[in-house]
Amino acid sequence: MSPRRRAVLLVLPALVPVAAVVGAALVSAVLLSLGLTPLVGRPELSLSAWRAAAGDLGTATRLSLGIAAASTVLAAVLGLGIALSATAAVRRSRLLGALAALTIPVPHLVGAAAMGLLLADSGVLARWLGVSPDAWPSLVGGPWWVAVVAEYAWKESAFVALVVGGVLASRARSYDETAALLGAGRWARFRFVTLPLAAPALGAASAVTFVYTLGSYEVAALLGRPYPEPLPVMAVRLAGSIDLAVRPQAAAVAVTTAVLALAAVLLALRALRRLSAWH
Amino acid sequence: MPTGRRRSIAAGAALLALAGCAAPAAEAPVAADRPWDDVLAEADGQTVDLWMYGGEEAGSAYVDDVLAPAAAELGVTLRRVPVSDTGDALDRVLSERQAGVTDGEVDLVWVNGENYAAGRQAGAWLCDWALDLPNRQYTDPDDPLLSSDFGVPVEGCESPWHKAQFTLVYDSARVPEPPTTMAGVLDWAQANPGRFTYPAPPDFTGSVFVRQVLTSVVGGPGEVPVEFSQEAYDEYAPALFDRLAALRPALWRGGDTYPQSQQELDRLFADGEVDMTMTYGPATLADLVADGTFPETTRVLTLEEGTFGNASFLALPSTSGDSAGAQVVADLALSPEQQAAKADPGTWGQFTVLDLGLLEEADRAAFEALPASPVVPPYEELSENAQPELSADWVSPLDEGWRRSVLAP
Repeated sequence: MSPRRRAVLLVLPALVPVAAVVGAALVSAVLLSLGLTPLVGRPELSLSAWRAAAGDLGTATRLSLGIAAASTVLAAVLGLGIALSATAAVRRSRLLGALAALTIPVPHLVGAAAMGLLLADSGVLARWLGVSPDAWPSLVGGPWWVAVVAEYAWKESAFVALVVGGVLASRARSYDETAALLGAGRWARFRFVTLPLAAPALGAASAVTFVYTLGSYEVAALLGRPYPEPLPVMAVRLAGSIDLAVRPQAAAVAVTTAVLALAAVLLALRALRRLSAWH
Repeated sequence: MPTGRRRSIAAGAALLALAGCAAPAAEAPVAADRPWDDVLAEADGQTVDLWMYGGEEAGSAYVDDVLAPAAAELGVTLRRVPVSDTGDALDRVLSERQAGVTDGEVDLVWVNGENYAAGRQAGAWLCDWALDLPNRQYTDPDDPLLSSDFGVPVEGCESPWHKAQFTLVYDSARVPEPPTTMAGVLDWAQANPGRFTYPAPPDFTGSVFVRQVLTSVVGGPGEVPVEFSQEAYDEYAPALFDRLAALRPALWRGGDTYPQSQQELDRLFADGEVDMTMTYGPATLADLVADGTFPETTRVLTLEEGTFGNASFLALPSTSGDSAGAQVVADLALSPEQQAAKADPGTWGQFTVLDLGLLEEADRAAFEALPASPVVPPYEELSENAQPELSADWVSPLDEGWRRSVLAP
């Protein structure tokens, strides 16, 4: 058996269930959005659900991409910082790394509730600072989605730190010492040694963060505002509508989200392949 | 029926479960016509799963501690299945119906209004059983709240459970001279910028508020036809949306955003950010004041023209395999003892669906002995001039129109 074929065989047990679940879900969502499997009435091929959802799809897509991009950039910067300090030779920074890792098992829903209690206009922070609700900026449910982005950045930075830290811990030290012996300064070592070593892991973790944030519902639903709404919130609102005829629109929104996420994954994979360390 | 904002993954799962299935016939199946003793005999030993909104502690405690033990005496095991949204139960029934399941997970649902209408649309409820329940004799056959559920005829497809009344609530310490009409409430909100807001439809309570304003701006109850028609919508809705758009700058946060649920509005009220809140279940107010969430000066605002009232019901899914047991539980829930226990503010405080005039002396005495609350007036006062809800067909167009015209013009 060729090594290639054996590799494929080894991956199969993981691949089949994933493909079956995701494939079946996507196919049924596409069928529903095209009016082929309605809850009531007669199946009929039509684009009417897509047309009805189109008005809000553009706004929702832009908003979702914006939230995902902002959260990902913040999480990547924060995560890289935590990973760097956690792998530094100072003992106190390890504590920082451990503390960052503590946020990982906190469910997003709990994180969102906590973020709401902290940042709301009559929340803990406003009370500590003695600011009245009227004067407090609308961080929760406000026009800039601050609380939503903050929650994602906080939670996902721990994930980024864990992935990047793992890579740096095993490889960075010896390279760093060699470069230092050769006379490289702090900034040069960061730019030419640490960053290239961390880049593939950072890129992969950022891609996962982006796609996760794009498709996640609960944080945006809890800390967001009724309008405009990100794609997953729109999909769930439509899927829960009391008018059964609206549900195909929910499927259309879900399909759009899935396509965007797939595109993001493909772009990320292409970019990662270009990075020298990714083979 | 209280409705959580969040729809669980069940909605998505239901969507997925539909792949490759054609829509089943929409006619509702009917229950077999047979003597009550036969139903009781068949129910003995059955287990009934009652799916109901789980966000109300008093309601959950009532079912677990009062209704379930009474059902056990009749040989029926009653299990409460909490859901975050009644629509979840409906989704479950619909997907079971698609899959041809005849012994489904849902045997009884606490439901009314739009979820009932959506289920009727898809034939999800068993019919022709609720009028035959022995305890049904204690209800008024002419009570409009029991014969029609948000404009959809009940026709023995669900059994009444309790009544609810849409109610505005204010803090008498901050609003010393409360308005007495809906138009007055809107004017008061305009005159007190930032002190009033309402939950964004499709939140259940926000949606009722919008319909209540509709009734007010077109000149009072009875102007808007209960049955939905596009002509009526085109005639009446613009005035509503104009009024609410004009009100918008005077709302909390300048109308830039709205609370997404009644719970969120309640939090704003509890924190003193707004001076009024609203609810379709005024029974919960006594508890909220007692535990200190709401100030002791919290009072119910009764409107001269009255407010919407409705009854909520127990519906029996057509996919249930334990329908005899479910009918026994529905009948038990309608008994004078259970209705009186539930009406006690210390238990749940829900208004009874029974006509006290039809009860026997001892049973009526149990209702008359119920303690009065300083916060919530008795049902007779609350329900004065009660208006029947508009048909469920009005709900979606008004919610959607509000999104287009007021939320995101």
